[in-house]
Amino acid sequence: MSEVQKNYGKLKNYVNGEWVDSESDKLLDVENPATGEIIAQMPLSTVDETKAAIELAQDAWQEWRETPPISRARIFFKLKELLELDFENIARIMVQEQGKTIDESRGETRRSIENVEVACGIPSLMFGYGLEDGAAEGIDEDAIISPLGVFAAICPFNFPAMIPYWFWPYAVATGNSYIVKPSSQVPITQNYMFRAVEKAGFPPGVINLVNGSHEVSDTLMEHPKVKGISFVGSSPIAKYVYKKSAENGKRVQAQGGAKNSLVVMPDCNMDRSVANMLASFYGCAGQRCLAGSNLILIGDVAEPFMKKFTEASKKIRVGYGLDESNNMGPVISAKSKTKILGYIDGAVKDGAKPVLDGRGIKVPGYEKGHFVGPTVLDHCTPDMAACKDEIFGPVVTVLRMKTLDEAIDFIHSSPFGNAASIYTQNGKWARDFRYKTQCGNIGINVGIVAAMAYFPFAGYKNSFFGDLHGQGQDAINFFTDRKVVITRWY
Amino acid sequence: MVVCEFPECTTFGAVIRFALELEKGAAGVYEELAKNPKAASAADTFMALAAAHTKRGDLLVHTRQQKLNEMMLEPIQDIKRESYLIDTNLPAGVDVKTGAKFAAKIEETSARFYADSARVAKSLLHEAARVMEKLGKENVANKAKLEAL
Repeated sequence: MSEVQKNYGKLKNYVNGEWVDSESDKLLDVENPATGEIIAQMPLSTVDETKAAIELAQDAWQEWRETPPISRARIFFKLKELLELDFENIARIMVQEQGKTIDESRGETRRSIENVEVACGIPSLMFGYGLEDGAAEGIDEDAIISPLGVFAAICPFNFPAMIPYWFWPYAVATGNSYIVKPSSQVPITQNYMFRAVEKAGFPPGVINLVNGSHEVSDTLMEHPKVKGISFVGSSPIAKYVYKKSAENGKRVQAQGGAKNSLVVMPDCNMDRSVANMLASFYGCAGQRCLAGSNLILIGDVAEPFMKKFTEASKKIRVGYGLDESNNMGPVISAKSKTKILGYIDGAVKDGAKPVLDGRGIKVPGYEKGHFVGPTVLDHCTPDMAACKDEIFGPVVTVLRMKTLDEAIDFIHSSPFGNAASIYTQNGKWARDFRYKTQCGNIGINVGIVAAMAYFPFAGYKNSFFGDLHGQGQDAINFFTDRKVVITRWY
Repeated sequence: MVVCEFPECTTFGAVIRFALELEKGAAGVYEELAKNPKAASAADTFMALAAAHTKRGDLLVHTRQQKLNEMMLEPIQDIKRESYLIDTNLPAGVDVKTGAKFAAKIEETSARFYADSARVAKSLLHEAARVMEKLGKENVANKAKLEAL
């Protein structure tokens, strides 16, 4: 498949309904992680530019909140239609800048659109509630759901299209105005999607895009007119965003890192489980916050399972994601690759057995790409850094345990609580796992527990800071407040 | 002659791409047959089949765009590309019978591809599997139509 463009040039900000050049002369190169080529330059927008965008969003808010929900929804219907038309281009651009495969990119584009589809239902979704004589006889009480003002998202590199859509469609549909700051590593996809946003017909200032780095993020977190921040990234940064934004009186939903375990019980359907796990461990080159990382084999399933799993892992095709036959692309950067290789080296040094070693992989024609091959490290122990830290790469650390309770205890020893899965045909084991495991997303024979748009993307412990999550009703509650009205007429 | 590029069927997208190439190949062969003066008596049938295969391509693109679920993107490891390659190099000036026989082979191979793909897709995406089953059945019906010419 061909690339949409070889180079996307210097990116612009989209503020107050117009594409504008940043006044900053600081530019950041955007690299194609498969080819090593520079494919765009992203301006590091200034503090003043960010403040100006916030003011314009605030100005736009009053009129937007007075726009009836059904009229707001109509713009989202239009946006959906436009995104469908751009579907393949969005997916291809995502491959170019992020490295994931075209199928993964299509799947992500679909998920972005699903959030728009849910936002289309906003007139029904933001009903308040009321009670006649609720306060006393002849005195009624109502709770009205109201928007709050300007919100903003600070987004990560692993899902350039979807993650901003966990937030902004809900915020804007409920009557707020919004600023998206895409990841500085992958800004092109979101910039491209904003062409559809522009055509959809949102009033100027309602939805804005500001490219940049920490200057933009810090300004958004500090500015008194920003009511709330949505963030996805690593746990240390999520905690920083949560703390800083809360100190400045904002609502915060900050999704952090993960270390997800997939537990295999002796009675699992082996063929189906292996196939499903391959997607979990190696999908998006392991750079999902829902990616499997620890593979926990219970009892005597270990030997036969490892044989099948390793054989299947060897067949994973690695290469440029625009070749539809490839199962896995590169990781995002040279820095990321170095970090991943460091974890593999460390685990091997500590006694792990690399039954499949992706460290030396060569992809012909893509020598400058940041590829790491599928790696399976057997006989790992819970104390190894590779079993505890978020590696964010296609590395499987295999632990052998005796019981399900031992596996759950191990999962609970992690500071993370994003996702965990069990593979079994036994309802009791599945029920115990679901009930006991302290993680926000639980899979039963499902290795990528990615909540659909109408469900919240959950997360416990250091995997999430805040209370209301992205997507679904949680998002609607995050972007609105409840105003109670008590009415008496004489 | 229409040139097809068949990928290795290791992903859902690659299976759909393979199917799109089958449809392109079939449509191309039928168009050539419809233009062939020696097969003029069946030109309408061939034209209709060409149009049907083009429309099937649209359905496949729609399926890829609308039905793909990111959660279910499992690698595909048991569909062998070589088992489903088709010959689109239609000999020049063939008569109706020979042309229909040539096209029937494409329908037969396609039917087998869709049946096998549907079996694999069932564990990934039921909705996509249903589309493939439907297309495979149509291939079988097309083959019967050709054999009656």
